[in-house]
Amino acid sequence: MNKLKQFILMLVMMFAVFLPLSNLTIKADQTDTSLEDIKKSGKLVVGLSADYPPYEFTAKVDGKTEYVGIDIEIAKKLAKDLGVKLEIKNMSFDSLLVALETNKVDAIISAMNPTPERKASVDFSDIYYSGKQYIVINKKDASKYKNLADFKGQTVGAQNGSLQYNLVKDQMPGTTVKGLSKLNNLVLALQSGKINGIAMEEPTAKAYVANNNQLLAFDPGFSVSSDQTGSAIAFRKNSPALVAAANKTLAQIKKQNLLDTKYVPEAAKYMETTTKNNTMMSYWTYFAKGIEYTLIITVTAIFFGFILGTLLSLMRLSKNKLLHSIAVCYIEFIRGTPLMVQVMFVYFGVGAVIQSLPALVAGIIATALNSAAYIAEVIRSGIESIPTGQTEAARSLGMTQKDTYRYVVIPQALKNIWPALGNEFVTLIKESSIVSIIGVGDLMYQTQLVQSATYKGVMPLFIAMVIYFIMTFSLSKLLNLFERKLNHG
Amino acid sequence: MDKMIEIKNLKKNYGKNEVLKDITETVDKGQVICVIGPSGSGKSTFLRCLNVLEKPTSGKIIFDGQDLAHISEKQLNVLREKMGMVFQGFNLFPNMSVLENIKLAPMKVKNVDEKTATERGKELLDKVGLLDKADQFPDSLSGGQKQRVAIARALAMDPEVILFDEPTSALDPEMVGEVLKVMQDLADSGMTMVVVTHEMGFAREVADEVWFMADGYVQEIGSPEEIFEHPKSARAKDFLAKVL
Repeated sequence: MNKLKQFILMLVMMFAVFLPLSNLTIKADQTDTSLEDIKKSGKLVVGLSADYPPYEFTAKVDGKTEYVGIDIEIAKKLAKDLGVKLEIKNMSFDSLLVALETNKVDAIISAMNPTPERKASVDFSDIYYSGKQYIVINKKDASKYKNLADFKGQTVGAQNGSLQYNLVKDQMPGTTVKGLSKLNNLVLALQSGKINGIAMEEPTAKAYVANNNQLLAFDPGFSVSSDQTGSAIAFRKNSPALVAAANKTLAQIKKQNLLDTKYVPEAAKYMETTTKNNTMMSYWTYFAKGIEYTLIITVTAIFFGFILGTLLSLMRLSKNKLLHSIAVCYIEFIRGTPLMVQVMFVYFGVGAVIQSLPALVAGIIATALNSAAYIAEVIRSGIESIPTGQTEAARSLGMTQKDTYRYVVIPQALKNIWPALGNEFVTLIKESSIVSIIGVGDLMYQTQLVQSATYKGVMPLFIAMVIYFIMTFSLSKLLNLFERKLNHG
Repeated sequence: MDKMIEIKNLKKNYGKNEVLKDITETVDKGQVICVIGPSGSGKSTFLRCLNVLEKPTSGKIIFDGQDLAHISEKQLNVLREKMGMVFQGFNLFPNMSVLENIKLAPMKVKNVDEKTATERGKELLDKVGLLDKADQFPDSLSGGQKQRVAIARALAMDPEVILFDEPTSALDPEMVGEVLKVMQDLADSGMTMVVVTHEMGFAREVADEVWFMADGYVQEIGSPEEIFEHPKSARAKDFLAKVL
């Protein structure tokens, strides 16, 4: 009965949190202030998935990592024409629309096709570039695959949420479609034989082939209507003023033929230099940055997680029924949902209320909230492992409950839970890799950047694995040392 | 004689299980009382009700003019300073040295300064014959030594009365003597003591009054001689026939 009550209370609390949020995204028929808003804020935040050369990818320019490609140039021009600064947010392609709807970004310039489905939820500019839809295969299969029908019974990959994904699904009956969120990983899958081809746009396909001599690209003859092939800029629904401004910029680009004379050749140049610098050593700064961010996230999260966790464990042990129930609900709920969902919820959901919440802070908050639940349980078990006789002895001497906890129970409990706490720390280093999905520059995220920059899939992953292992292993050794000291002290 | 603790109509239930049914007695100042009786008779519960480690279901515990069963947590903490307790399982703090065990409460509760607390702690350790163990940790002590430290720890708060909850029951037989010796010295010095015990020899030697408990009542009260030589109730006769 008690359990049931707790469960119902938990559901009620969940709805209390979710309901107000669900209202936020549906604000129809408001006056269009899109253009003024951006001019007022002085910056244009553009979302993209920087793993899609030649549209958007990363390259080293004068020793620094920068986003480059056709879309980046368009974004720069648009920001310049609007008279504002440009800020780029890199995230996975399938997070982009949510990011736009929850005001994380002002526009998406990420080779996005204005499909009817997408048009229903966002506004699009005119099409600024159109390419054919290609399929990339392994060169050794060149004789096997010549058109769409040849893939019957095989598997073809495409980026999740992309036009190509739907094309494969609709126009290649008998073919299984495999969706991944990163093109790098699809190329990996292709080369390891997990899939037989990847559907992608012509320029991107050509870019991959140019940088990887084991691949081959061809036009398999997808039938695509004109409004589906092209790339356009996406804005929030009901922002005609901003769309008009973007169309003006795009018209200029077209008039001066900037794409063919400037943007595409420049992108190609970056891709070549990237190919020349293809050794992993030249990307050590990526990994160093990733380690830095991973450590920042982990240490901050464990710090706040520990404080909140201590509080939660005391609440759970409290005689006050309300405090107890809140703690139980929180702990059970957090432990019963995946960290990945929590990270996305904090960034997109809570971030919809607090507009300026940066991805890094959102990532840290989500990981801290998550680890607090686990730490709370560790601390509770530590406190409960202390015999009641200890408390009774202290109380019989006239010590207050607070002092009893502070001087007698907690010090002993901490000693008991030290190994479990250390484990939580080590776990968090690994689990923090999840924050890469919202574009926080941790080690996993940097690894993905290196993958797309070098067109190599396995090596960066291997390096990331080794780095993660070195971090966790040395940390657990360090904790062991500390623990031994504690036991002797 | 002055009254130290007055117990009035004390009852304690755990759910439907009545452990203490109705107890009204008085502990006088300077008195040594030994509470004896068969296991499950409620002796320990009774003792733990006196300093409200167990909250009485009803009734009054009057100590220092206040009813411990019906006062705030804060006031209770103040009165507990004056009512020491020694446990069957010693309950020393394993994360502190012997001396730190003794110093903790005076420093945190009475705000005694470190130097005074150390001096007093050493004095008390000397009294129980363990001065040389001051810097050791409880783990390295024998059971008898642990219990002597626990007594010193209780004494450090300068209590007016000390409650002993079967202080020798967890000890190996050869260590019982050293603890009883300390307790006897304490009794000789005029300390008011309530001792729940199975040591009939100690009760006979040291007690001013013996309370025989059974079935949640104090069945019989008398001098050791009266209780041990001429028990009146059938329950007492039965019990003493088994243990003596």
